[in-house]
Amino acid sequence: MQYMILSVFFPVVSGLYLLVKKEMGNRKNLLISTGSFLVITAVLAILALCLTGEGLFTLFCVTERLPILFKVDEVSVVFLAMTIIVFLCAGLFSFEYMKHEEKEKRYYGFYLIVFGILIALCYAGNLITFYLFFELLTLSSFPLVLHERSREAVMAGLKYLFYSLCGAYMALFGLYFVERYGNTLTFSVGGVISDQAFSNHGEILLLVAFFMILGFSVKAGMFPMHAWLPTAHPVAPAPASAVLSAVIVKAGVLALVRVVYFIFGTSFLKGSWVQTVWLTLSLLTVFMGSMLAYREPVLKKRLAYSTVSQVSYILFGLAVMDGDAVTGSLLHVLCHGFIKAALFLCAGAIIFKTGKTKVPELRGIGKEMPVLMVCYTFISLGLIGIPPTGGFISKWYLAQGSLKSGIPVFDWLGPAILLVSALLTAGYLLPVTIQGFFPGENYDYKVLQKKEPSPFMIVPILILTILSVMIGLFPEGIIRYLSQMIGKIV
Amino acid sequence: MEIFLEGMVILNSLLVWYLLLHHTESIFTLANFTGNLSISFKIDGMGMIFGGLVSALWPLATLYAFEYMAKEEHEKVFFLFYTMTYGITLGISMAANLLTMYFFYELLTLVTVPLVMHTLTREAILASRKYLYYSLGGAAFAFIGLIFVIIYGSTTNFVLGGVLDLEKIGDRVNVLLLIYVIAFMGFGVKAAVCPFNSWLPDAGVAPTPVTALLHAVAVVKSGAFAIIRLTYYSFGTEFLKGTWAQNVVMAVVLFTIVYGCSRAVKETHLKRRLAYSTISNLSYILFGVTIMTPAGLVGACSHLVFHAVMKITSFFCAGAVMYRTDRSYVHELDGMGYKMPCVFGIFTLSSLALMGVPGLTGFVSKWNLASAAVESGNILAYLGIACLLISALLTAIYMLTIVVRAFFPNKEFDMGSLDGIRDPGWKMLVPLFIFSIVIVIFGLHSANIVKFFDSVAMGIR
Repeated sequence: MQYMILSVFFPVVSGLYLLVKKEMGNRKNLLISTGSFLVITAVLAILALCLTGEGLFTLFCVTERLPILFKVDEVSVVFLAMTIIVFLCAGLFSFEYMKHEEKEKRYYGFYLIVFGILIALCYAGNLITFYLFFELLTLSSFPLVLHERSREAVMAGLKYLFYSLCGAYMALFGLYFVERYGNTLTFSVGGVISDQAFSNHGEILLLVAFFMILGFSVKAGMFPMHAWLPTAHPVAPAPASAVLSAVIVKAGVLALVRVVYFIFGTSFLKGSWVQTVWLTLSLLTVFMGSMLAYREPVLKKRLAYSTVSQVSYILFGLAVMDGDAVTGSLLHVLCHGFIKAALFLCAGAIIFKTGKTKVPELRGIGKEMPVLMVCYTFISLGLIGIPPTGGFISKWYLAQGSLKSGIPVFDWLGPAILLVSALLTAGYLLPVTIQGFFPGENYDYKVLQKKEPSPFMIVPILILTILSVMIGLFPEGIIRYLSQMIGKIV
Repeated sequence: MEIFLEGMVILNSLLVWYLLLHHTESIFTLANFTGNLSISFKIDGMGMIFGGLVSALWPLATLYAFEYMAKEEHEKVFFLFYTMTYGITLGISMAANLLTMYFFYELLTLVTVPLVMHTLTREAILASRKYLYYSLGGAAFAFIGLIFVIIYGSTTNFVLGGVLDLEKIGDRVNVLLLIYVIAFMGFGVKAAVCPFNSWLPDAGVAPTPVTALLHAVAVVKSGAFAIIRLTYYSFGTEFLKGTWAQNVVMAVVLFTIVYGCSRAVKETHLKRRLAYSTISNLSYILFGVTIMTPAGLVGACSHLVFHAVMKITSFFCAGAVMYRTDRSYVHELDGMGYKMPCVFGIFTLSSLALMGVPGLTGFVSKWNLASAAVESGNILAYLGIACLLISALLTAIYMLTIVVRAFFPNKEFDMGSLDGIRDPGWKMLVPLFIFSIVIVIFGLHSANIVKFFDSVAMGIR
């Protein structure tokens, strides 16, 4: 219990401390304190996972019906593990990368606050707690987006802010109704709304569920509310883009898992128009995101469009509401988290070392930064879904779940679109590798210089790469863990 | 003079709180006119809420005004009328019948006109004239309602559940409903309901303590308070609920909620922007009123109290900026967050509260309003929830753009142009800090105060 609260409050308080404190003269001191804050938080969070048992811990009550409470279950473990790993790696990366940015102290301050709030989101035990931290997440993460304070960055930050708030308010609309018709707001396996309420107010509850799904999926970048994502993610400093794209969008996914499987329950939503619309929107997003990524020349923007597409894989799996598909979704949460963080870090390392942002400029980059580009290639293969990487396993489960779900049309259309999108993924990621290592015969080899980035940059990317491959090589443990839990909720 | 005045105001507030906590059920009659017309006072639950609110805010606002008014002329005249308004607002809150309330309501208009006119610029004189005409006109419409209640009611005293005598009304139900709508709009002028809202942004030319305390709390909330008295204590919700009159007033109110916010987004003058935000937020209160259930009244009361604190805070911040720098447009606020950290920190807090971020007061009152709307099962009320949320989004837009400007100015912005700007003195900062503490505490733990509102709405107090 105390570790849970500490692991939420410690990073938030230390982040605020960094924000309020006077500018430090010595950059080293700032890095040492930030690094130790990050590590202590991670340790506290892991201790909280290990030492906290079942049960709810009420922090305080806003009103009698609205307690703020925490609990740990399997879903929190999955999301929390991904969050901690990505935050530590991106943090290490920023120690080098943020050298060429201003106002580093402010960046680390908000970075820590976001970390704490994400941990709290994983622990949230009821809808109101979740909503509280969901809004705080938006408010504390938009300073990361507009960190560079160019006109473009500020506009992107505001766009992110208002899109996210719009989504949060759509979800809040549903929250009012759930509070009224549900037995409780606490996340419970199989849903909280009684059959009687369903039979009496079925239509309005379906509408409400639709609004909540649509609202929370704004954070996950689902069509039609995806437009903020390709604007906001690329303008942030690279390590911030990495956590935005890898972890913060997953807050939307976590919200949908909680709402669909722990508040409404699958028995109510299966076969309803809400499911059909949700499936359609997510497949549309998968396809559209890949297409847009394919024709985007700026590397970081291309990766952002890729996030739009890949997160909707996860949403598709959740929308199918079948055991295997959900396993695939949660696996993809892990894989995509590691892979996309690593990809953004690669893009950041390239910008840091060469200042190049567009894909056509990257000819011969593999000769200049061989280690980095080998990592890039491996994680690209993972995202495309080529065995034996993690992406293959998750997509396999997604497709399998969809095929056996028996939903008319979507059971075959889903896997088909996933395949097309995988092809497009190869089309937008691999050219960087190919041109990087094989620049063609008219390439002037004399301009080449060794530009391999420092270990601060390489090590985090390496760790993430290894993890994403390991998931593919040894998936049994994770799958057993996931399917145990999923057996209960689907 | 300052110490004497502050002392008197504090003393008066203590007296009021003593009265509120030790009140009796009896009615105190000051003067008796013919028949059942009298000027009389009584403290009931609703009066406790409004009176308690006003008497808690007034000493702090007066303290703030000392520092602010040091720059303006005619301080003495200002404080004369400022303090008189205090008494008259308390008169409204403690009135025992419609006539008494109407009497103080008219006085309130007359006493506050000189405050709006204070700077004596052409703009101020025009604004105060507009304010006067609007308010008097509104009061005239409200007077029609008053007469009908006197004729068709069994008594003119306020009774929760209404005083209308159905036998006397007979088949003239529709006439009375029409009269209700007219009286609602009449009192609605002070609460800035949509077609009658334009006096409020104009009246922003007054010195900031006036805009903050009177045009965000005392005067405008008197309008809302009068409508609560009219709806719950005179006509009665039994009589009104489910009729076309309810739909009409609710539709007007919902329109005002969205309209006020969208005007605020377009407005570039800081105080006018906040004034439009007030227009929208006042209609939140009225939305609660027009739901016409006890839960709706709870929502209305909580927004009445919580909005007062939030909006007075943001106005005081705007005033502090004007006092220190003479800047009053939003686009002049770039980078100010670093020069006035306390003021803009608190401004950020009040913006978040107005948006309804959980953990701050705005969330609690919106929660109460929305759950009342869900409970009522009225389709128009469901639409109202959507309006509340649209308005919350617009609130985020018009408040947070200011915050972003203040803390994240563009890269090219020259911070040197802000040299010499700093936070104001303690007389301004102390009220701001107290308000922000209140915003956080009631946001985190509102169970007790909401329980009190519940008991008022159920008629226990």
